[in-house]
Amino acid sequence: MVYEEMVKELNKLLGLKGSPVAVKLIKSADEIPKSYPKMSKKKRHCEFIQDTRLEGKKGYATAQEHLCKGGAGVMGIEPLPESVASGKMYHQLGNYETTEGALETVNAVPKLEEKYYASIYSPLESAKFEPDVIVILLTPKQALRVSQAYLRAKGGRISSDYSGIQSLCADAVVAVAERGVPNMTLGCSGSRKYAEIADEEVIMGIPPKNLAEIVDALETFKEKWGEL
Amino acid sequence: MKSIKALGIKAPNSAILAENIIKNGAEDGIIIMLSAGAEEGFKSIAKKYGLTYEIENKNSVVVVRMIKSEIEIEELDVTGETCPGPIILVGDRLSSMAVGDRIKVTSKSCEAIEDIAISTPQMSGKVIDQGTEGDKSYVVIEKTEKKVEVAAAVNRDKVLVVQSNGIGNAERAYATFIFSKAALSMGKMVTVFLLMDGVSIAKKGNAATVKHPAFDKLDKLMKEVIDNGVQVYVCELSAEFRGMKQADLVDGTKMAGAATYVTLLSDPAYAVVNF
Repeated sequence: MVYEEMVKELNKLLGLKGSPVAVKLIKSADEIPKSYPKMSKKKRHCEFIQDTRLEGKKGYATAQEHLCKGGAGVMGIEPLPESVASGKMYHQLGNYETTEGALETVNAVPKLEEKYYASIYSPLESAKFEPDVIVILLTPKQALRVSQAYLRAKGGRISSDYSGIQSLCADAVVAVAERGVPNMTLGCSGSRKYAEIADEEVIMGIPPKNLAEIVDALETFKEKWGEL
Repeated sequence: MKSIKALGIKAPNSAILAENIIKNGAEDGIIIMLSAGAEEGFKSIAKKYGLTYEIENKNSVVVVRMIKSEIEIEELDVTGETCPGPIILVGDRLSSMAVGDRIKVTSKSCEAIEDIAISTPQMSGKVIDQGTEGDKSYVVIEKTEKKVEVAAAVNRDKVLVVQSNGIGNAERAYATFIFSKAALSMGKMVTVFLLMDGVSIAKKGNAATVKHPAFDKLDKLMKEVIDNGVQVYVCELSAEFRGMKQADLVDGTKMAGAATYVTLLSDPAYAVVNF
């Protein structure tokens, strides 16, 4: 699918800062599209998202390039480190009063069962691959409109779940890819600190299949309600 | 079908999530793993979308299956297949099916269908429905998970008498029913399986020609045993080989195929007497 026109409309309707990010997990190097280089620096998944969103960088990252082993772990790119899997790390960081409480959360974090070779990132408008998930960083008001747009066709409610850890990886990518419905997350301490997610921003993961109807709905909202 | 882990999400959010997933691409249903207690509200969702509702507790995880009710059923007609052809065909088919898939087996031979139904549990299957449609009998089988067998002491309270000798060997023919009577008197449940030349015993008129000096005629002894609840099976293939059909057999005897025989032999509760 070509997303260029849809992204133009999305930017016009929402006034996005930066680009929506196309994210895909691949099982072998054969799946890397031409002109997508290996990421030049070791970074966290959330940093790759930000670089792509704000600077237009595109490329892929294997286990070697993934600095955050928790993020790479939940995406199936490498085994989850024992200190993360056991909850010990988060307990030591002070997130949880007990190791048991930490483990209760870690066990509930969405994780992919399958193994992957790498993750690929691209500004959505220029993506040369079909993404598994589209990650968008939004203001709360923009997120409200996207949520309303998603529900316009079929109604219902959105259930978003997160835990303040493993956000852009588990909440925005893995959960959405696995379930096939959007998820919203507030980020995590790591993404706020290292990827510099802004205080006023929230993160949404959207299944690519829903983007067209979201854009259509946003256009309808503009006609009915005026500018955002 | 989507299989999803949604641990840590409490009700009613878990149900909201599940409904959203079903509405947006999982109309045929989902299998979802939840934390204990989070399944509240799922039954009404299943009803709303016309899905079946099944719940299974595994330690602290609850697995909810909400699946489209109208499962497509494959059909297999085994009419005309010579025993043990039908059971082989069904067994092969079942082995390649996924758990939950169903197959409808049909045949003009009701004996073949009953044979298959009896042996279904041995093939990791469950009989869902059985009956007749027109001139055919049918059985609907659902593939189940292979059960892990656990060693356990079995009370051998059944006796299976297998007879391959016919009326040409009077002493052995009599032994079939003498031993059956003895087992019955000891409170055992008894089954007789006649195969090869043994099937001649069950042919109408044959047993009446056999007389043991110490006992009544063989046909009366056989009738007495049958009247006391012993099921006498007659090997279908052996009978056909001798030009015999069900109508040629004495009342109370029943054609059966290889699968029934193997199922009986495989039952650890049976003590087997072979002639």
